[in-house]
Amino acid sequence: MRKLIVCDPDRCVGCQICEFVCSTAKEKSIDSSLSRIHTVNYEPLGNIALSCVFCEKPACVAACPRKALHQNEKGVIQVDETKCNGCGWCIRACDFGAITMHPIKNVVSICDLCDGELKCVKSCPFEDALIYSDLEEVAHKLRRRSVVKLLQEFVGKTQGSA
Amino acid sequence: MSEKLKEVREKMLGYMGRILRVNLTSEKLSEEQLNEEVARKFIGGRGLGAKILFDELKPGIDPLGLENKLVIATGVVTGIPFPGNSCHSVMAKSPLTNIWGESHAKGFFGPELKHAGYDAIIVEGKATKPVYLWIHDREVEIKDASNVWGRLTREAQKIIRSEIKDEATQVGCIGPAGEKLVRTANVLFGFNHVAGRTGLGAVMGSKNLKAIAVRGTLKVKYAHKEKLADLLLAKLADKEAVRGPYWPDALYKIGSLADFSYWQATGRLPTMNFRKCLFPGYEAVSGETLAASGYVVRHTSCPYCYVACNRAAEVHHPYEVDPEYAMPEYESLAALSSLCMIDNLAAVLKAIELCNKYGMDTVSTGVIAAFAMECYEKGLITKEDTEGLDLTWGNHQSLVQLVEKIARREGIGNLLAEGTKRASEKIGRGAEEFAMHVKGLELPLHEVRGMKGHGLAYATSNRGGCHLQVETDDLFEGNLCPEIGIDETNFPQSVRDKLYAGPEKVKLYKIVGDLFALFDSLVVCKWTVYPCGGTKITTLAEIVNAATGWNVTISELMKTGERIFDLCRAFNVREGITRKDDKLPKRFTEPLPEGPYKGEAFPEEVFERMLNQFYSLRGWNKETGVPTREKLEELELGYVADSLETLGLILPSPQIKE
Repeated sequence: MRKLIVCDPDRCVGCQICEFVCSTAKEKSIDSSLSRIHTVNYEPLGNIALSCVFCEKPACVAACPRKALHQNEKGVIQVDETKCNGCGWCIRACDFGAITMHPIKNVVSICDLCDGELKCVKSCPFEDALIYSDLEEVAHKLRRRSVVKLLQEFVGKTQGSA
Repeated sequence: MSEKLKEVREKMLGYMGRILRVNLTSEKLSEEQLNEEVARKFIGGRGLGAKILFDELKPGIDPLGLENKLVIATGVVTGIPFPGNSCHSVMAKSPLTNIWGESHAKGFFGPELKHAGYDAIIVEGKATKPVYLWIHDREVEIKDASNVWGRLTREAQKIIRSEIKDEATQVGCIGPAGEKLVRTANVLFGFNHVAGRTGLGAVMGSKNLKAIAVRGTLKVKYAHKEKLADLLLAKLADKEAVRGPYWPDALYKIGSLADFSYWQATGRLPTMNFRKCLFPGYEAVSGETLAASGYVVRHTSCPYCYVACNRAAEVHHPYEVDPEYAMPEYESLAALSSLCMIDNLAAVLKAIELCNKYGMDTVSTGVIAAFAMECYEKGLITKEDTEGLDLTWGNHQSLVQLVEKIARREGIGNLLAEGTKRASEKIGRGAEEFAMHVKGLELPLHEVRGMKGHGLAYATSNRGGCHLQVETDDLFEGNLCPEIGIDETNFPQSVRDKLYAGPEKVKLYKIVGDLFALFDSLVVCKWTVYPCGGTKITTLAEIVNAATGWNVTISELMKTGERIFDLCRAFNVREGITRKDDKLPKRFTEPLPEGPYKGEAFPEEVFERMLNQFYSLRGWNKETGVPTREKLEELELGYVADSLETLGLILPSPQIKE
């Protein structure tokens, strides 16, 4: 099963550190607009960080009129910068807004998992807010959490009525 | 209508290089250049605001009148990704104290304002009808705010955001309290960031300015971007360093509320309007209790920071508390609990929520409520005055109602909305004796009989009773800062002791006073730097240099801090502040009644001796408390000395030697 970078909106505090670490690692610049991961602060609901989710049937690849995008065996979307001319069709096709236009090079950039050395995940200060995981693991964690919550509420209610 | 600068910022690095001036009377909008020399001398934030307000305000003006100006300024580090770099300052002549007014907020507004194209905004005049400012990428509009006037703070923010149709817009606004010119009104920025003190919300209210909305995508040019990236990465590699030596992990888990238990344990928790120092009901309202209560629904952070000290609390019973407004911090919690003897956590959270809904400073409100309770106890105000409200100590239903009355200026609330000082003068009959304020600003929650340096800081702070001029003595006991000469040789453990009140302590407080003036101008969050946090002053200097291309040294920065401190003092001197105003409430001369420091007082002679030493270290006239010409000239503030001399405030005779 493919693995991806998953942000937990209950744990993310919206500090944007992942963005700056990404832009520093990939573009040697502290400019969050060059980052391939983006935090969205939607107060008061919460915060979340979004990056490429490596779709099984990537709409971005299909949308590219110049065949500049290609998905490799790990699911990573690779950009052929010689073919990309910055038309932005892939940005419009992506449901997650995970693709970024490089403002200077005018080609798109997408999370490439940093060859396994995930700097955003490593530098996230909050435990379990940003993890690299497969979806089954994520589902397992969510199940556990909801069960704990349900049980606590149940225990709380029975104690309250006693 | 709008006058725009031609591009001038080719050379200006680290800043946007522009100041926006908005005149609400004439609706004239103009851009001014931020001169690099001014930037280096005053940095930004408090420094820049002090420069602007000293130069432009006439002494003696009505803070709620047409002539007052509101300045919102970012600093050189605002917006540079590094923990603590997301602050901005709000400044004006304070309607609460009639002197220098400043308050600093953190969060997303400051960086957004800078990226919208401006290092600072100056708001002048008064609009004929309610308006808000909409600033986006150097486009500025004065927009009609009649549909948000009268609305609660967050409601107004949401309506403005939906009007603007950009979710990333940051809105700073006042609530109904600011509109009603409650003198302790605050300005709320976004979800949970507040410029709370000195009543600056009332200044916005007096100008019919409901809100300022900003959105920016412009970029700041930096001299050495790679260096800034290196500094951030180095910081991230050392996570404990930002949380600092003081509260390694507690700042995230419990937040500033960790203080509450600490002061209780060490017998210095201001209780019952500073009459007592141990709160019997503390366990019911402590930070640990809150953390375990299940009330905390969310932690939030400022940009670039991994401390995430903010928390939001939600309660359904016995009070309905909206988490969008209930952000408990130590000062808020203690002011509204121990100080008023309230031991009901939900009620305290409700009171905090109401303060933020209506836009009122929680610290001042708590002190005012405690003052009212003491008046009630002493029979100075009666049930008739309060329209039936029973203001007995610890009555939480009454507290919650009282907060709303103050916010709406209803009944007794109308008197209390004037602040403790004015209310006590009006009530008279000895009420002034237990009005806990310095220069009109209600005291924060630190028991200065058990920390002598901090007492001096309260009395000499430029904005009145303030705990952010210099930190509490306890923090210096364990933390040194050799870069600015605070080391074991100069300041051995014995003189850093919290009860020590000798000349070395005064010197320590002078040095750190300058340092904090610098922090407020850069503008950095004080929880990330000495003595609370782990960011070194050398690192701050590196950030400034990497951003601007300057080569400032620590000693230049410290001198800048002193310059800013003295400029604010000069502003106050012009407003009539002299030595007689640098004093503590009389209650502190009485001994502490209980706890580990039982019997400890702050005798007047000890205080006067400290004050003498403080003035002589600062180069101020000992009789008047006015900075001397020599000192001002040394700080390159000759023009300030000229201005004070014209007003007859600097004595022509040479300073009297000790």
